[in-house]
Amino acid sequence: MSGIHIKNLNVSYGNTTVTHDVSLDVSVGESLALVGESGSGKSTVLKAIAGLATNWTGDIEVDGIARGRSIDPEIATKCQMVFQDPYGSLHPRKTIDATLSEPLQIHGIKDQSARVIEQLENVQLDERYRFRFPHQLSGGQRQRVAIARALMLGPRFLLLDEPTSALDVSVQAEILNLLKRIRKEQNLTYLVVTHNLAVVSFLCDRLAVMRSGKIVETADVSQLKSNQLAHAYSKELLQASRLHSGSNEKTPHNDHAQ
Amino acid sequence: MSNHPLLEVKDLTTSFFTSRGEVQAVRGVSFDVSPGEIVGIVGESGSGKSITCMSILRLLKSNGRVVAGQAHFEGQDLLKLAEHDMRKLRGDDIAMIFQDPMTSLNPTLTVGEQIIETIIAHRGSSRKAARQRAIELFELVKIPEAASRLNSYPHEFSGGMRQRVMIAIALCCDPKLLIADEPTTALDVTIQRQILLLLKEIQARLGMAIILITHDLGVIAEVADRILVMYGGMVMETGSVDTVFARPNHPYTQGLLTSVPKLRTAHKERLRPIPGSPPDMLRPPVGCPFAPRCLRAMQICVGEVPPIFEMGDQQTHKAKCWLHHPDAPTNDEGAA
Ligand SMILES: Nc1ncnc2c1ncn2[C@@H]1O[C@H](COP(=O)(O)OP(=O)(O)OP(=O)(O)O)[C@@H](O)[C@H]1O
Ligand SMILES: Nc1ncnc2c1ncn2[C@@H]1O[C@H](COP(=O)(O)OP(=O)(O)OP(=O)(O)O)[C@@H](O)[C@H]1O
Ligand code: SF4
Ligand SMILES: [Mg+2]
Ligand SMILES: [Mg+2]
Repeated sequence: MSGIHIKNLNVSYGNTTVTHDVSLDVSVGESLALVGESGSGKSTVLKAIAGLATNWTGDIEVDGIARGRSIDPEIATKCQMVFQDPYGSLHPRKTIDATLSEPLQIHGIKDQSARVIEQLENVQLDERYRFRFPHQLSGGQRQRVAIARALMLGPRFLLLDEPTSALDVSVQAEILNLLKRIRKEQNLTYLVVTHNLAVVSFLCDRLAVMRSGKIVETADVSQLKSNQLAHAYSKELLQASRLHSGSNEKTPHNDHAQ
Repeated sequence: MSNHPLLEVKDLTTSFFTSRGEVQAVRGVSFDVSPGEIVGIVGESGSGKSITCMSILRLLKSNGRVVAGQAHFEGQDLLKLAEHDMRKLRGDDIAMIFQDPMTSLNPTLTVGEQIIETIIAHRGSSRKAARQRAIELFELVKIPEAASRLNSYPHEFSGGMRQRVMIAIALCCDPKLLIADEPTTALDVTIQRQILLLLKEIQARLGMAIILITHDLGVIAEVADRILVMYGGMVMETGSVDTVFARPNHPYTQGLLTSVPKLRTAHKERLRPIPGSPPDMLRPPVGCPFAPRCLRAMQICVGEVPPIFEMGDQQTHKAKCWLHHPDAPTNDEGAA
């Protein structure tokens, strides 16, 4: 079966199990958000799919391949992860070029230079940044590099863990537009962890709400927009988020530049 | 609220002297904070929010120096105070909370030891009285089972609880001013909200003033009375939160508000980020720092820093933008 399918996933760190019977299906071309309480296991689910958390029981299937506990090069070419912190996730001593070439080297792919240039263009990062180091780039530019790196092997699935929460509002808007565009152009499938429900509504079709290691509700983004989430915790989350952005939503001048 | 400001910052100018040259981090920032008031500072990364506060607190790294300006706290200029008196004031009258509680707490000591030590150091209380006070503070910030949690180490708390510990430590000595630098960005929305409501509640109860630094406009909208919008080391716009959000009168503030995604943003829509990138403070633009990115920039903007104009709709609403000059071409934005 194509898509990402997770059944009864229980992931543990040491002796502690942090997710409890998590089941999720993401169809091809879909964008699903994973939202919920801090510490509820959202990143853990992504890590298990990406092969970064290896102590689990249940089933994980990516594009028809059942995931094992070890690194799976076939899944790696199809499914890549992008992390929240554009500072920590890039190697500080490697140039952007080296960072982007690395996955190609590992997978023995030729014409690396052309592919690097192509991806830089894809994420709209000027070629003059190619031989710079991460500390010479802004947060938004680093996140573009992280996205380019994830796209190097031509994956069909991206696992995005809080891809914009470390960024300034204006930079966040740039990256969200970028993610939306490449998803459409390359028919990518997204699984996005975020704590910002406005990001969910912008970038996703459906959402799953997690609390204490369990999925308590899955809903359509239309339900989110019309305030029709069912579970008490989802409502609380929505309430907090609405109050947060309340003043922004009622300002008529927000849209002055339209 | 009394009419006398608690803190009065005037023309604050701070630079860092690096091997690459002078980084002009803060360039003539002025603002007041009244007793009991919550003032929010927003602006993109590098705009000078933290350095403004670090300058006032005199906590700059050794290559940084306040090159001009004053910061009067209850009448005395903090920038002229002897180091010894300043150290006493920090913690006694002015407290601060930093972004990452993990880096500000000592991982090898229980939180109880850390808070009790702080109370003893500043208040000269006995250990027993300090412990009692610590328990009260934990209760104030709503840490369940306060007495027994004093024996926990920082890593044994979740992110939200750790932030409460930091707030408790900051409140040890009933400060008159609390400076909170991005206290909630690392937390999820429900916990963020709890922490902010808690800060607001404590502020109302203890009557302290708060300077809240954040890049989250929603946070400011919810808790602050007044807002300072910073860009390129300067204050671009200031006013009451309601007024500034309802009638942003500076192109940068307008750009910020437009780039925030809304829950109701239509699926097909694209967000509208502010084009371009922030200035390099080693070589800031000669005129308005926002000019290279401003869609409405005029010739004068490139050559001269705009003065501050009063907006007229509200006493405290001001914007630093040439569009408000009487001779500026009129526009559809309701400029003065
Ligand atoms: N490497 C690890 N070792 C031990 N425990 C871990 C590790 N990583 C995560 N945990 C624990 O597993 C639980 C789930 O963590 P996870 O990072 O998946 O949460 P999350 O939902 O992504 O939270 P947040 O919104 O704060 O990022 C938490 O209790 C966390 O403390
Ligand atoms: N120790 C230092 N040496 C040189 N430049 C510095 C130093 N500390 C800060 N700066 C510079 O001062 C300017 C203002 O920085 P500041 O930390 O106040 O920004 P900020 O508005 O708090 O941003 P953020 O949202 O990223 O915290 C930036 O250009 C920054 O690079
Ligand atoms: S002064 Fe000029 S460049 Fe600066 S914000 Fe106003 S219009 Fe734009
Ligand atoms: Mg996480
Ligand atoms: Mg800062």
